[in-house]
Amino acid sequence: MRIAKNTWVLLLILLACAGWVAADNAYFRPKPIIFKVPKGWPQPVYDFSKNPLTEEGFALGKKLFYDGRLSKDGNFSCGSCHQQFGAFNTYDHSLSHGYNNALTTRNAPGLFNLAWQKDFMWDGGINHLDLQPLAPITAENEMAETLENVIAKLKTDKEYRKMFKAAFGDETINTQRLGKALSQFLLQLVSSNSKYDKVKRGEASFILPEQLGYQIFVQKCISCHTEPLFTDYSYRNIGLKMDDVLKDPGRMRITTRPEDSLKFKVPSLRNVAMTFPYGHDGRFFSLMNVFEHYRKNMVVSATTDPLFRNKLPLSNYEIGQLTAFLYTLTDSSFLKDPRFAAPGADNHTKPPADIHR
Amino acid sequence: MKHSVYMTVLLALCLTGLHFRGPVPATAPAGKLRLVFHHQVGKNPLELGALCQNSLGDSITIERFKYYVSHFTLTDSKGRQWKPDPQYFLIDEEIPGSKIITLQVPDIDIGQIGFLLGVDSAKNVSGIQTGALDPLKGMFWTWNSGYIMAKLEGTAERSPSPGHRFTYHIGGFRFGMNTARAITLQIPPANQPLREIHITADINQWFSGASQINIAETPVCHTPGSLAMRFADNYQNMFSIHSAR
Repeated sequence: MRIAKNTWVLLLILLACAGWVAADNAYFRPKPIIFKVPKGWPQPVYDFSKNPLTEEGFALGKKLFYDGRLSKDGNFSCGSCHQQFGAFNTYDHSLSHGYNNALTTRNAPGLFNLAWQKDFMWDGGINHLDLQPLAPITAENEMAETLENVIAKLKTDKEYRKMFKAAFGDETINTQRLGKALSQFLLQLVSSNSKYDKVKRGEASFILPEQLGYQIFVQKCISCHTEPLFTDYSYRNIGLKMDDVLKDPGRMRITTRPEDSLKFKVPSLRNVAMTFPYGHDGRFFSLMNVFEHYRKNMVVSATTDPLFRNKLPLSNYEIGQLTAFLYTLTDSSFLKDPRFAAPGADNHTKPPADIHR
Repeated sequence: MKHSVYMTVLLALCLTGLHFRGPVPATAPAGKLRLVFHHQVGKNPLELGALCQNSLGDSITIERFKYYVSHFTLTDSKGRQWKPDPQYFLIDEEIPGSKIITLQVPDIDIGQIGFLLGVDSAKNVSGIQTGALDPLKGMFWTWNSGYIMAKLEGTAERSPSPGHRFTYHIGGFRFGMNTARAITLQIPPANQPLREIHITADINQWFSGASQINIAETPVCHTPGSLAMRFADNYQNMFSIHSAR
């Protein structure tokens, strides 16, 4: 009897031990986040099965996004050129400021709805969202740091080791996890709650100029700025004269094909009222500058999009209505969403007063 | 009980079968095969930082030489192939240990060895990789996603670029610009099964393989495109078997 009892106790202890050993793996249970595709939107192109979204991954990605240590001198985080109040563009800057008083060579685009985007950068040179952050981190005129140094800096930080473990199951910190964690944050920057979206969902209605503007938009703009993402992600030459300092050939830099000369990615028009300046090099400071380009200043060349053989005729009246419509694409709940805000930076969540709009 | 034994045997057969194309050789991985890479400029062993002469008569100093190899295929005398699990290796003159690769292979008579010089296009489009393919190894373009398949850097008196440097970063994986090259080498007669294959890579082939590339005219290649393709067509001839035993 006693022997039997001892055996039972031993067995229980053994089981408990086995439980602890097994728990080493089973203990890793990050809180999953369900990625919601807004109604009527296409399926995202990002492969979530390779990088399942979790609360822990998001928290790590957000910390990395706002951490200046990803740059050489500690001054430039991703968030310093991608500001939430500008829909994560560089607010009011044609080109952004990088390490050692350098300027970037292109306008920092807003960051949102990236799960639907296949290629990144104005020329589409980067083919995966996880890879995208490596370009600004290592570019001499941006964050100017080496990947080796970034990984080394993160490894010395106890808090990061803890967060990598929480997100990925162990304390390994490498380039792949850095990219995946940043993607976790970036993927959740979904902007789908503008007045336009509310109208589409039947929760609001356009006032007259917005309604008229939408009709003009459907007639004249929608073939490239396709709903619901307001871009078809194609590369087009819209008759922008090559800047004689930047000498940027656009898409041709990647494909080396002369027919891609001066083609740039069609930008999304969501939050367009907040993402000025416009154009790949930020040469247009207001929507009015853009309309003037389309109707008057365009330089039609061999690679200019066939849609613009006769430029894009727009009357003053149409420009007024279109502007009213484009303002309905501003998603103020996205611009102020505290989930995406820089840690402890209440005073940075408001844009500075400006005169450009 | 009997059932599960059969199932296990069947499963094992299926799993081993996955590695083979054609009839299954009698044995599973039995031994280690060491591949030793030797780098030369013509007949002379490469010495980083030392002055030497290339095939076009240029006095050059080589400072960096590295390249990816992957997708090994061993073929026996009957044409049967053995493919080890896909693995990627970065061979770097600066790191002697990187020039020796050990593969687990079955005891077959190896008549031919094949491998890919470079990184296949699938790995160029699937995000960030780890290990030898980690972008922090400096063999990845961040602005135009894709691996640098092979890198050769140094100085040459006749180079017109700053510091008389020449820098050849050869990459590109898209259709028409793919600089990865399938290499096939015949094994000379030797006692089988082999335990060591010594492979020579002759840097002279970069300058005068399929076509001549003169440092004085072409000191730099940093983008995918037609120049990179010419380099790739050149370096695909740089390998030969030194010895096998």
